[in-house]
Amino acid sequence: MSFSSKLKPNPGTDPMIEPAHVRRANGNNNNKDHNNDVTAQIASALIESTGLLRAPQRIGPLVQKVVSDKLRITFEQRHLYSYTKNKRSTDEALNALLRWIINAQRPDGGIAAYYSLLTGYSESYPEVTGYIVPTLYDFASMTNDGQAATVAQRATQWLLSLQVSTGAFPGGLHSGSHGTESQPSVFNTGQVLQGLVRAHAETSRPEILKAAVAAGDWLVKMQQVDGSWSGPAAYQDTAHTYYSMVAWALAELSERSSDDKYGLAAERNLDWVLSHFNPSGWIDGINLKGHPDYLHFIAYVLQGALECGIVRRRSDAIQMVAKSAWTLLRKFETNKYLAGAYEVDFKSGAQFTCLTGNAQMSCIWLRLFEMTDDLRYLNAALKMNEMLKQLIVVRGRRGIDGGVSGSYPIWGRYQPLRYISWGCKFFADALLLEHRLTRSFDVSTSEALSCAS
Amino acid sequence: MRVVILSSSLYSETACAMAVRMAKLGQVPAGALALSTLNRRTLVRKLGQLGVGEVARYARAKLIPQSGNSRERVVNPHLEPWLKRDVGMFRSLREVAAFYEFPVAFCDDQNSSDSIARLKEWSPDLIIFAGGNVLRKQLLEVPRLGVLNVHLGLLPEVRGMSSPEWSLLNHIPIGITIHYMDAGIDTGPVLQRSEYPDVAQCESLNDLRNRLVAFGVERVGSVIEGLIRGTMFAAPQSDPDPDKDRQFFVMHEWLQKRAAERLAASRRFTVAGPVHG
Repeated sequence: MSFSSKLKPNPGTDPMIEPAHVRRANGNNNNKDHNNDVTAQIASALIESTGLLRAPQRIGPLVQKVVSDKLRITFEQRHLYSYTKNKRSTDEALNALLRWIINAQRPDGGIAAYYSLLTGYSESYPEVTGYIVPTLYDFASMTNDGQAATVAQRATQWLLSLQVSTGAFPGGLHSGSHGTESQPSVFNTGQVLQGLVRAHAETSRPEILKAAVAAGDWLVKMQQVDGSWSGPAAYQDTAHTYYSMVAWALAELSERSSDDKYGLAAERNLDWVLSHFNPSGWIDGINLKGHPDYLHFIAYVLQGALECGIVRRRSDAIQMVAKSAWTLLRKFETNKYLAGAYEVDFKSGAQFTCLTGNAQMSCIWLRLFEMTDDLRYLNAALKMNEMLKQLIVVRGRRGIDGGVSGSYPIWGRYQPLRYISWGCKFFADALLLEHRLTRSFDVSTSEALSCAS
Repeated sequence: MRVVILSSSLYSETACAMAVRMAKLGQVPAGALALSTLNRRTLVRKLGQLGVGEVARYARAKLIPQSGNSRERVVNPHLEPWLKRDVGMFRSLREVAAFYEFPVAFCDDQNSSDSIARLKEWSPDLIIFAGGNVLRKQLLEVPRLGVLNVHLGLLPEVRGMSSPEWSLLNHIPIGITIHYMDAGIDTGPVLQRSEYPDVAQCESLNDLRNRLVAFGVERVGSVIEGLIRGTMFAAPQSDPDPDKDRQFFVMHEWLQKRAAERLAASRRFTVAGPVHG
């Protein structure tokens, strides 16, 4: 196990929530209030916009994107029949997404967190590099694309070099500078674990399984008695229900390693997460201080609980997730839109949409279709995928071509003016799932219609 | 009985057929309220639903006079029994209204205060909904008996949109339900549920929908007769599993194709019978 970690000393932070320089400016203050948050956003915009001075050639694409989103939201008329027709080929969109991911691989082998319209590509991001590995292998398997598998192998090799002696993986972006102290992160370790488990399934390399087991052991060790994860290795030092994604990774490790210790730990967290589900379908305990409950994190809770429930054969988890997912499905079908963030009980949605969260909901609906045979989930996912296909650029500059923006419109609150790697990952997952499930769909011809005749 | 028709447009064949059906029963409508033909929201929705080509064909069929030798066409041929007149076809509510002498009004929103006032002037016992907006409580309370809807699926099994297609894919019998509307989507008390007997004759999903619409127009007549005679009563929907959400939404074209395949497979099955290995 290597100790060559070169991460910025920024404990418990998450670039998925706010830009790295904002976190630096805030000093990771857990108690920052709303005013500080607004100030930080303004500071973020000012700092990030200096990127244009260094690279003025980015002004063109920036203006183009802002104008095109403004025109679209001004003139787009959503109605009952929106997104019911295939206007863009799924294969074309999938290829564009994978092209974006492959282009985002940095020289060190990690995948960049984002491409900013102001500053270009970010540094490598261990967390996303980890859980993008299964997407790459799924794509390689579907298309026999050797390049995707090669990218996955390089990414895995880079990840192995980041693991610390405890078995943990660090949080934050990778700076590339030697000698800085790394800060272990429960969430990122869980997300990286997903990639390691899949990489071992694909390659059978023993060192990968060894690293996965070490990561799993650390996660079990760090788990609280109630099944949650909190403390210094958790974001903002507090427990979060969206760490169900970590439970999913442990459940997968349990299957891969044939050691039920990890599965039982996964279920302990699953029980804790499920205890936060309200009768309305809303989930408490996302606990992002200073931030709204973005759809991305709501979907994380659901996705982690669902997938963990599937692996552990927990029908109670599947049913509880289905209830929340159905609430969001009704909102999407009625408005053809999901808000980028919600308040308690899914009230008062924000005025922008979080594309990553939309793609995750598509994945959740597709998996629920697979579990329940309820075609309404498939129907909603097909429409959601169609909406997302219409919002990605399939011909454009590197970093933009095939990219999924954080928000729509691009200046929305979640990851403004950025194309984000995890957005591409989840949308690619959704399209790969759509491809698999629609190919295997069988219109039964064995019985006559139930009718009076 | 004073009956009023609500229509999604002046050129709605369903509304025209429904008005003729009422008139032939001796119940000439007290009035008809149609959404304006150039209503922006309706146009946008129709373009999304049917596409530019189909909307253009529809507009041509309705707006351009037929030449002397060409046979007048209707979009839904199964409505011809009601739309046919001595010479040609009824092509708009205006023509039906002129023939049977009842007033037609237009609006941009059936729920607007102007629309409600107009409906109250006609003091209807019953409103027949033949398309338009989602109706609000204020409108639903205007008629003495209620607002009647023909839903193209069996209730409570299939509520909402694309009902024939969802019925096909979910092995639910194909049929229609005539019911009173309430604040929910297809949740109101049911007057009549009827399975459609000729599914095997349907050549396409479009043909199935057209047949069901005509079937509904036919059945509404018998329901109205029953209401006049006092032999027809509405019953709340009895759902054996009330916790199950039975609302369906507009179907994506990929699933529509599967529904069409299922319809076609069923026709083959009906003709040839099951094949055993």
